[in-house]
This record gives sequence, C-alpha cells and structure tokens, in this order.
Amino acid sequence: MIRKTAAVWAGKATGTLSRVSRRGGGTTLPGDVARAIDPKVLTKLSQDLTHGSIVITGTNGKTTASRMVTWLLEGAGHKVVTNRAGANLIFGVTAAAVDRAGMDARLRADWGVFEIDEASLPKAVEEIKPTATLVLNLFRDQLDRYGELESIAKKIESALSALPAGSTAILNADDPRVAEIGLGLPNKPLWYGLDDMRVAAHELPHAADARTCPKCGASLHFDAVYVGHDGVYKCPNNDFARPAPSITAQNINLASFYRFSADIENTQLDVQLGGLYNVYNVLAAFAVARTLGLEPGYIAERLRDFRAAFGRQERVEFRGRILNLVLSKNPAGFNETLRTSIDLANGTNFLIALNDRKADGTDVSWIWDVDFEHLKDKAQVVVPAGNRAHDLAVRLKYAGVQAAEPETDPGRALDLLIKLTKEGDIAHLLCTYTAMLDLRAELVRRGWAKPYWQT
Amino acid sequence: MSEKFTVGWLYPDLMNIYGDRGNILTLLKRAEWRGFEPRLVELGRGTTKQMDEVDIFFFGGGQDREQALVYEDLLEFKQPPLEQAVNNGAVILAVCGGYQLLGSYYQTADGARYPGIGMIDVRTEAGKKRFIGDVVIETHIETLEPKTLVGFENHSGRTFLGPKASPLGKTLLGHGNNGADKQEGLVQGNVVGTYMHGSLLPKNPHLADYLIRNALIRRGVDELSPLDDSVELAAHERILQRAQHHLHLQHR
Repeated sequence: MIRKTAAVWAGKATGTLSRVSRRGGGTTLPGDVARAIDPKVLTKLSQDLTHGSIVITGTNGKTTASRMVTWLLEGAGHKVVTNRAGANLIFGVTAAAVDRAGMDARLRADWGVFEIDEASLPKAVEEIKPTATLVLNLFRDQLDRYGELESIAKKIESALSALPAGSTAILNADDPRVAEIGLGLPNKPLWYGLDDMRVAAHELPHAADARTCPKCGASLHFDAVYVGHDGVYKCPNNDFARPAPSITAQNINLASFYRFSADIENTQLDVQLGGLYNVYNVLAAFAVARTLGLEPGYIAERLRDFRAAFGRQERVEFRGRILNLVLSKNPAGFNETLRTSIDLANGTNFLIALNDRKADGTDVSWIWDVDFEHLKDKAQVVVPAGNRAHDLAVRLKYAGVQAAEPETDPGRALDLLIKLTKEGDIAHLLCTYTAMLDLRAELVRRGWAKPYWQT
Repeated sequence: MSEKFTVGWLYPDLMNIYGDRGNILTLLKRAEWRGFEPRLVELGRGTTKQMDEVDIFFFGGGQDREQALVYEDLLEFKQPPLEQAVNNGAVILAVCGGYQLLGSYYQTADGARYPGIGMIDVRTEAGKKRFIGDVVIETHIETLEPKTLVGFENHSGRTFLGPKASPLGKTLLGHGNNGADKQEGLVQGNVVGTYMHGSLLPKNPHLADYLIRNALIRRGVDELSPLDDSVELAAHERILQRAQHHLHLQHR
C-alpha cells in the first residue's frame, strides 16, 4: 500500500513537471516513474475500478474505438479512466491510471478503457485482467519495430489464451489472422463482421494483403473484400473459413466523407465519421458496449454526437479554406483514407506527409503498397511533405501523379498548400503519426487549432 | 508495335512484405519510358507459365510461414525453368528471403539445415540480433554512377559468400550480408542478391538500369536512352546526407 502510494505520488509529480515544462503533455513518463517504484502499480490501480476494464488492440482504429467506448460509458453515467493521445504502451496506460488516482493512491472510477499497442497486449492483459478484450484487425505496420506480422499475432494469441475466466474476447471475424487466433481459444469469442455485399470489392487490393490457410497453406478465396484483407473468405479445401459473426453491420450507406449510416442489431446508426474503416470501428465499439450491458437504442442515440479524435479525421478552417487532417499510417489505412477522400469527398487538393521517426516506423518501404495511382487525373494539387517527402515524390512520380516539389519543413509545406488551394476549397492532409503532430504543432503556433493535450 | 519487356514476379502473394512492388514498378516504368511495352507475369505457386519470356525475375522477402510454402514450390516447379532462363541471359534480382533461398542453405539457430536451390554461391546462418536500419554501400559494379546504393535492411540471417560470388558493394552504413566483413549483397553472373529493400530500385535508378540493360544484352541492346532521374537522385542524396550525419556522430 505504501509502495503504491509512493509510486502514484512520484508519477503525479513527474506528470505535473512535464506539463509545466511543456514537454509534450506528459503522457507516458509518469508511468515509467511509477512503475520503477512499484512494478505492480497498474495491477493495484486496476483493482480499484468498481466495474472493470476493456483493453483494445489491433493495427488500425484503436484510438477511435477506445474513444467511442469511453463516450458510450460516460453517457451512461459511468466514470471512465482512459489513456489518450496514442500513449498506448504499458507506461502510457500506467500514466493514465496514476493521473486519475487521488492523493490516497486510489483510482476512483468505474471503468478503465485502454488502447494497447499490439506487442504490449500480453503484459496489459496480465496486469489489468480486463472484462473484455477487443482485437480490431492485424495489418502490416511498422515492420522495423516488430519484425513481422506473425510474431505480433503470436503475442496476441498468448494474451487471449491467458484471459481470466469470464473475460470476453471480442474479435473481428472478417480478419483472417484474428479469426485464426480466435478459433483456437478455449472460450468462444464474440465475433463481429460486416454483412453488406454492396460495399464490398471482390478482389484483394494487393498481393501484399494475401493470406493463406493456417491448416493447409492454400491461398484463401475471398467472396467479399471490405478493408485490406478483411472480408468474407474461405480456404478452397474447406480447412478454414470466416467464423459466422453474431453482431453484423448491414445496409451500410457511405453517405459522405463526414457521415455514414448502418444497421446493427436492427437498429439504425447515423454516425459523423466517414469511410468503411470507421464502420468497423463503430461495429466494434457497439459489440463492446453490448457486452457491457448497454442497449442498442441508447448506443445509436449516443453515437450521433460522437466526434473523431484529434487528427484522426479533423477539420480546421483557415481563411475560408478547409483543411482536413487524416491520420494514415500504414498501407491498409492509407488506401482507405485515399479512397474515402477521393471517392466520397471528391478531393482534389492534397498534402501527403511521411515521417520515419520511431512512432511512424523507420522503414518507409510500405508507401509502395499504397495505391497513390488513385490520385492520378483526380488530384490537382499534391504537396509531398514530412522528413521523407523526397521518397513520396518518387512514389508519386511512378504512380503517374503530378506533384509539387517535396517540402520537408511543415510550415513551408502548409504555406504551399494554402497558396495552391483556392478560397472555399477543401484540402486533405494525409499524414503519418509524427508528421501529423508536426503539422498540428504548426497549426497551433499559427492559432488555427488547440494544443492536443487540451482536446 | 513496340517490343515487350517482361518482369516475372516470383510469389507476389507470399514473398512481398517490404514494399517489393516498388521494385516491380520501377523496372516496368523505366522500360515503358524507353518505348518498351511493359508486361508483368505473376509467378505464384504451381505455375511456370511464360517463364521463358521473362527478362527480369524479381524474388522478394517473406515471413517464415510463407517462406516454407515457397520453398517446396520452388524445388518442384520453378528451379529448372529459372536456371534455364538465366542461362539464356535473363536477370534475377533477389532481396532478403529470395536472396537466401537462391543460395546453398539456410541454417537455423538450433543447427537445422535447410537446403536452398543453390543457384548462387552463398550460405546463410541464423543470427541472434536482427539488423534493422538504413544501409548505404559503395558498389563494386564499375559502370554504376553514382557509386553509392541506398536501402533499408531488416534481417537476422547472416549470409556468407563463396568463391564464385562477389559482393555487390562495401557497407558504409548498416550491417550488410553478415555484419562482420563489411560486404553487402552479391553479384554472380546475371543474379544480383541483396538485403536492401526500401524499396531498393526507386531510389537507385542506376541499379535499375543496370539490370534492365543486362537483360536486354541478348536482344542486342547495349545502351539505354537516358531519363531525367532528378527526383529519384534527390531522394538518394537525402539518404546519403543523413548517413553522413549519422557516421559523423558515430566517429565523434
């Protein structure tokens, strides 16, 4: 108890110092400090939660899904502790819990909702002992950091196999690698998936997205492809197939870049988010909320007012121009945001920002798996930006897309975009994680947006 | 009617984790810009179709699970036509896993040895530490200008060259073949092997042209018309600048 208190106090002091010195919001350092004093501090704080916690992992959509689950629980009168701003390693989660604990080192909240980096899931599950664990998808992402998709899948598998009795795994049935994990678990998971052939493609977007049968090694056959390799699939030798989902989204209407509607459990949902990838996020949050006992009618009502997380899909107005910031951090995500901004928003003006810092992935070869060809003949303005702007410029050249000179300085890249965008027009800024932080910092400096630890 | 230029992509669905499409696109576009009709032949499992028409084969990297599936197919279907094509003057570019599989064997950490198809004189052994990061090499290929090649490596295999093989270049930054002898990649006849992806060819247009020209020699082409490579070489130059900065810090 004394150790826990010392850990919480030291963590809190660190957080205050870090905010005062403006070192980026103090989102993980307090966690390091608290864990150094009491390695069990997260386990102890988790036990203070009156109802329990939910951990959310997967390559794409963690932040949006976590915010949605938090929004649903808070609307139902629950006090929720959650980690923010992509601080999703075990230190970030610990920091969030420390920050919300009182001076008596007790965490006074009903639920914890934590987004967890895929590789940190085993540790998170062991320490937090969640009521429910959501796995959204498994795409290729940041190969330099993790080695390969397979080793991440194995980590998730070991985490889910170790879930305590009565803890539910909520899994995306449409993702073959997630399904393979779920089908091997001792307890039956709750499966969700899309069910609307009208929004499906029939071929995989890329050879790189191909999956093979875990039993016989044959290439999987897809009847429907929704996002990346997520869809309706089966092994040609009938050794493996998509598990039948018990919660599905039907009648999907991708109305615009900012809105879609869909039916889930016979309830119509209207959500102010665009793109098929966000249908997955909403469906996943719905499945979690149902597991926690919330009613479909309430969920639909509450989600009407949900807004995207900072930079995930955010609009900033400046001198009559609308800047649309969209986080795009790997091939599957990038292809979706490109498709959405071109097909649904009729986008013509783009700034594409690629950084190769640790949080983005230091290996940028994945840009060759993004269909920048989609911009050809449609985009009028394309500004390659970020510290790897020159790599983007090469990629765009080989995609047959006319682009401006690469601009590595965020301020100058923004200036160029503004100059080339007419008043009243919309520009889409598709960026990797730290490139988005850089652009946003520049927007904050110019007074066009709020600092991120205030959003 | 213009002449065809054919790229054969070995196992595009299984051996494709590091943006290998960039290498394919670069070869096809650079042939197209010179008036050839570009054509891509995808060589998945079980097929050998049109392998005799291929000018350049590309063989990329895969995950362990996929690499095992590829290995069986390679022995059963691809090895004889591949050897025949190379004897007839076709070119192979092999990166990472593809590079290892063309060699004589791969030895795992616990000593188990998996034979490769032995087209090139290299052997690979598993290493403990994974080599990850930017790579800059000075190439031994005399006709290349600039002399540098840039890429990104991510491998735990340690590859050693036998007497019939010569290295592609000397590492200035990064670990290369094995982290010990400062050599990267291999050149053996018409086969080029390397651990560099990133993708490799887009930022190294001179190497792309070297491969294209070698593949066209049998058709009597020995000079390619020049292209404007300013965008590609600017990206190449950025990596060199970063490497210089990095090496400067290391030597301080």
